[in-house]
Amino acid sequence: MTKRSTSPFAPGQIAVHVALAAGAIFMLLPFWLMIRAALTPEAEIFSGNMLTLGTVTLDNFRRVFAEVPILRYYFNGIFVVVAIFIGQVIVCVPAAYALARLHFSGRELSLWIVLGALMIPYQVTAIPVYVILAQFGLIDTRSALILPFVANAFGVFLLRQFFLAIPGSVFEAARLDGAGAFHTLFSVVLPMARPALVTFGIFSFVSHWNDYFWPSFVLRSDAAATVPFGIVRFLDAELGSDYGPQMAAATLSVLPLLVGFLLAQRQFINGIAMSAGQVE
Amino acid sequence: MTTAVADADILAEPSRPLPRRWLSRRLEPYVFVSPLIVLIGIFVLAPGVLTVALMFFNVDILAGTWKFTGLRNIQQAIGRGEIANSIVVTIEYALLTVPPSMVLGLLVALGINGLRAGGSFWRAAYFLPVAATLVAMSIVWRWMFLARRGLVDQTVGKWMGLTDWLNSSDLSLPAVALVGNWQQIGFVAIVYLAGLAGVPKHLLEAARIDGASAWHRFWHVTWPALGPATVFAAVISSIQALRIFDTIATMTKGGPAASSETLTYLLWKRGIYYFDIGGGAVVTVVLLAFALLATWIQKRASRRLERAGSR
Repeated sequence: MTKRSTSPFAPGQIAVHVALAAGAIFMLLPFWLMIRAALTPEAEIFSGNMLTLGTVTLDNFRRVFAEVPILRYYFNGIFVVVAIFIGQVIVCVPAAYALARLHFSGRELSLWIVLGALMIPYQVTAIPVYVILAQFGLIDTRSALILPFVANAFGVFLLRQFFLAIPGSVFEAARLDGAGAFHTLFSVVLPMARPALVTFGIFSFVSHWNDYFWPSFVLRSDAAATVPFGIVRFLDAELGSDYGPQMAAATLSVLPLLVGFLLAQRQFINGIAMSAGQVE
Repeated sequence: MTTAVADADILAEPSRPLPRRWLSRRLEPYVFVSPLIVLIGIFVLAPGVLTVALMFFNVDILAGTWKFTGLRNIQQAIGRGEIANSIVVTIEYALLTVPPSMVLGLLVALGINGLRAGGSFWRAAYFLPVAATLVAMSIVWRWMFLARRGLVDQTVGKWMGLTDWLNSSDLSLPAVALVGNWQQIGFVAIVYLAGLAGVPKHLLEAARIDGASAWHRFWHVTWPALGPATVFAAVISSIQALRIFDTIATMTKGGPAASSETLTYLLWKRGIYYFDIGGGAVVTVVLLAFALLATWIQKRASRRLERAGSR
C-alpha cells in the first residue's frame, strides 16, 4: 500500500472524526450548559434533560442588566484594553525599531534589559508594583490597570524580530531621502509593522480583557472594574445561588471574545499561540 | 537600492555640514528606546529590588509607614507552613495538568493533522476554551460541580460516588485541575499542529514505503521532529500552572483547608487579602525562583535539542 486513500470518507478518516467529536463534547459542554441555563427560567434549570432546551426566556439577561452595572464593566474593559494597546504601540514600536535597525551605544544593554524583563512573569512583580502604585494613589483607578502593561518586553522582542526580517535598505532609503526620525517612524516603520501589530494586538486584547489576577490586586470597587472582576464581585455579593442570572452574566462576559474568535479565527489562534515566543 | 549603494551614501553624508541634523540622528535612537527602558525600570527592575527590601519590613500602605523587622516575615512565613503547603499544592497541580494536557493535546493534534477535511472546524472547537474568559467559565464550572444538583454530582457522582468535589480536600484540587486541562488542551494542540507542519514529509513517505507501521513512523520520524514543540508546550504549561489564579479564586478560594492554595493564590491572599505586604514579598521570591527554574530548564532542554539536531 504505497498510496494513501484520499477520500475524506475512508473508514480511518471517519474514526478520527468520531474520536475528535467525542473529545469536543467535553470541550464544548460548559459553553452549552452556560447558554442553556442562561435561557432557562430559574425554576427549571435543574429539572429535565440538560442536553435539550426547554422553555426559552430572556428574564435572566434582563435581571443581569437591571442589577449588574455590566455596561460600565464593558466600558472599563474596552477603555483599558484600548489604552494599553495604544500605549504599547507608542512605546514598543519605536524601541523595537531602534533595537533592530539603529546603531547606538547602549543597544546591547537595552537588549539585555528587554530579554531579562521577558523572563519575569508579571505575577512576580505584583506585590512591589502594587506598593509603587499605592504610593502614587493609583489604587482602584483605571490607570493602575493600564500603566504596568504599556512597556511590553514580549511585544518589543516580537516586533524586533519582525523588523530584523525586513532588509535594512528599506529603512535606509527613507532616512536618506531626508525624512526626519519621526517621519520615518510614522510613514515607513509603523505601516510595515502592521501584520505583526495585528497578531500582537489580538494577544494583548485577549489577555487583558480576560485578566482577573491584576484587577483583584489593584481594584477595590466597581468604579474601574473590568468585566471579569466586576462579574465575580457582583455574583458573590448579589446573585449567590441564582444560577440563571449567573450563567447569563457569564455568557455576557465571554460573548465579545467568542464573537471575535469566530470572525477572525486564524488571527486569534496566532495571537494567543504566540503568547510566549511561539514566533521564532 | 542595494546595500552597497546605501553604505556609500552613509559614508558620503558627513561631508555635508549639517550639525543639527547630525545631532538629531545621534539622539534619535535614545528618544525611541528610553520610554521603554524607563517603564521597564519602574515596573520590572525596581519591583525586583523592592521585593527584596519588602521582605525585611512591616509595611503599612494606608499609613505609609515602613518598620524594619529583620527576618521576621521569613520566619513567620516558614512557621505558618503555608509556603511549604503551597509549593506542594502547586507541584501537584502541575502534575495533574501538564502531563495529561500534553498527551491529550498531542492526540488531538495528530488527529486533526491526519484529516483530509474538516480540520479547521475541530481546531476551532478545541481552541474555544483557550479564548474564552477563564473567570466566566470558572463560574460555569463551579455551577457544574455544585453539590448534589450539579452536573458532576448527578453523573460522575452517582456512578463513582465522588461527590461535592469543591468542598472535599481530596477532590478540590483535581476539580480545578480538570478545568486547567480543559483550557490547556487546545493550546497544546495548536503548538503541536505547528510542530507537525514541520515534520519532514519525505521521511514519512520513505518509512511508509519501507513498510514501517504507523506506530514506528510516529516514534522514529514524527516524535523526534516534535522535540522543540514538546519543550515549548511543556514549559508554557508549567508556567501556566505556576500562575493559575482565576479558577482557584472563583471555584475553591484555595480551600477547603488550603488544599487547593497554589503559590499565586497564596500571593494574593497574603499581600492583598491579609494586607501583609512583607509576607507577600516572601511568596514572591519563591514564585520568582520557580519561574527562573522553568526558564533555566527550557534553555537547557532546547540547547540539548540543538546539539542533538546538529549531530
